[in-house]
Amino acid sequence: MKQDISSLMDGECDPREADRIIKACCTSEEHKDTWNVYHAIGEAIRGQSTAAITRPERVMAAVAKEPTVIGGPRRNLLETTIGRVALAAAASVATIGVVSWIGTQGGAPAVSAPVVATSKGTAASAIQTVGATKSVPVAAPDLQEYLSAHRQVPSADAYRPVANATPAR
Amino acid sequence: MRVCAARPRSRWLPAIAFGVACSSHAAASTGNEPFSWLQRATGSARTVNYSGTFVHTNGDRISTFRITHLNVNGEEHERIEPLDGPPHEIVRKNDEMYCHFPDARTVRLDTRITARYFPAILRSTPEAIAASYDVKLGKVERILGLDCQWIRLQPKDKLRFEQRVCAEGTTGLVVRAKTLNDQKQVIEQYTFTELRLGAQAGKPADERSKFERRVKQWRTDKQPREEARTGDTGWAVMSVPAGFQKVTELRRSLPGRSQPVSQIVLSDGLANVSVFVEPNGPPSRTDEASSEDGTTTLFSRPMGDHLVTVLGEVPLATAQQVGRSVARRP
Repeated sequence: MKQDISSLMDGECDPREADRIIKACCTSEEHKDTWNVYHAIGEAIRGQSTAAITRPERVMAAVAKEPTVIGGPRRNLLETTIGRVALAAAASVATIGVVSWIGTQGGAPAVSAPVVATSKGTAASAIQTVGATKSVPVAAPDLQEYLSAHRQVPSADAYRPVANATPAR
Repeated sequence: MRVCAARPRSRWLPAIAFGVACSSHAAASTGNEPFSWLQRATGSARTVNYSGTFVHTNGDRISTFRITHLNVNGEEHERIEPLDGPPHEIVRKNDEMYCHFPDARTVRLDTRITARYFPAILRSTPEAIAASYDVKLGKVERILGLDCQWIRLQPKDKLRFEQRVCAEGTTGLVVRAKTLNDQKQVIEQYTFTELRLGAQAGKPADERSKFERRVKQWRTDKQPREEARTGDTGWAVMSVPAGFQKVTELRRSLPGRSQPVSQIVLSDGLANVSVFVEPNGPPSRTDEASSEDGTTTLFSRPMGDHLVTVLGEVPLATAQQVGRSVARRP
């Protein structure tokens, strides 16, 4: 429910979801509390009156419960209101850009070559049981060339010239 | 909305109420036809005239591009100028792509290039996309002063990411797009920051490269380099994930590698996966490795004397399925 309220505030809900969340919010003191805390956080970020924060300890607790940045390589910090608080509050966030490639190593699951079926349906159901191995940092080998090839980035090295680029004058 | 009344000081509440009201109205007036919106969004990047600037965010990386796209007598003309890094321009006329590097004073072309830039990110037919994604309408939102309709493409399985595209109401042109992981976190975004549509987009001369004027003489040569020929690589993906199809297969030389690398490209109409196979080392790798950054997932695995590397805009499990099923073509 907390995630729902957060999504609502970030404008990520369609009307039906928004309606459901707002109704659910009204039925529980705990959810109302969450609602108020998240708004207080939003107002604090925007530099509005902090007098509105009647229970600062709840706000700080909510901030502290947010997932640690390093633990979530795919989390887009700037995407949520709470994320922005975490960004301001945690000095360690500055290192996140450096740890951009997180890898798995030696963690191959016992299921090697998990799916040999050619049927599309079988392949789809099999992959869900495979799952992904967990991540530990590993050096990224020569990735730039692969990335360029994958994204079809035009490269002066990869393609032959088609014109003599003689200056017009 | 009683909760709303409990906190009248919040600036969020009027916005939410307004959004709910607007969205309900729009859903009723459009007849709630997700698939027809997807059809419009898919075709509009080719048929509509537009120019503007867009920002691409993927993981930690942000890049900005200027684009002009004009449809002249049924022919597509497009000029893309990355505004970050060394200056260059990509000019496309239908399937022919020219790249202008002012520093190197060369102009290069490869007709096998099928790369398309935002907003042409819906690469396949709406039918093919709908085969792998549930198509739903989201809210109506005002973006760049235009009323736009969000379209949600929710994957039918865990093999791909959720996509959300926002189509401009009049033309259907995608003006904003997001990719979300299974935690509903946004991991990639495209958005126009400035956009001109229709007659405002520009005149035919605008899609020509500004570097082109420096070129005195053109020599036509559409052959790809010998090292990057399309053809049978001898390798195959035995377990192609559901909904994906092989798009191309080629052998190419890459800087820093003494021998050619085989590349097989798979696509489900939205996401691409590249499989690279090359001799393993030296030094040879003995462990599997993988990484995730934004939408870009890497999975690498030694296979006898060879090294298999998978790169794609897919969840790690999908990359692993592909990488572990690579084998010599029977």
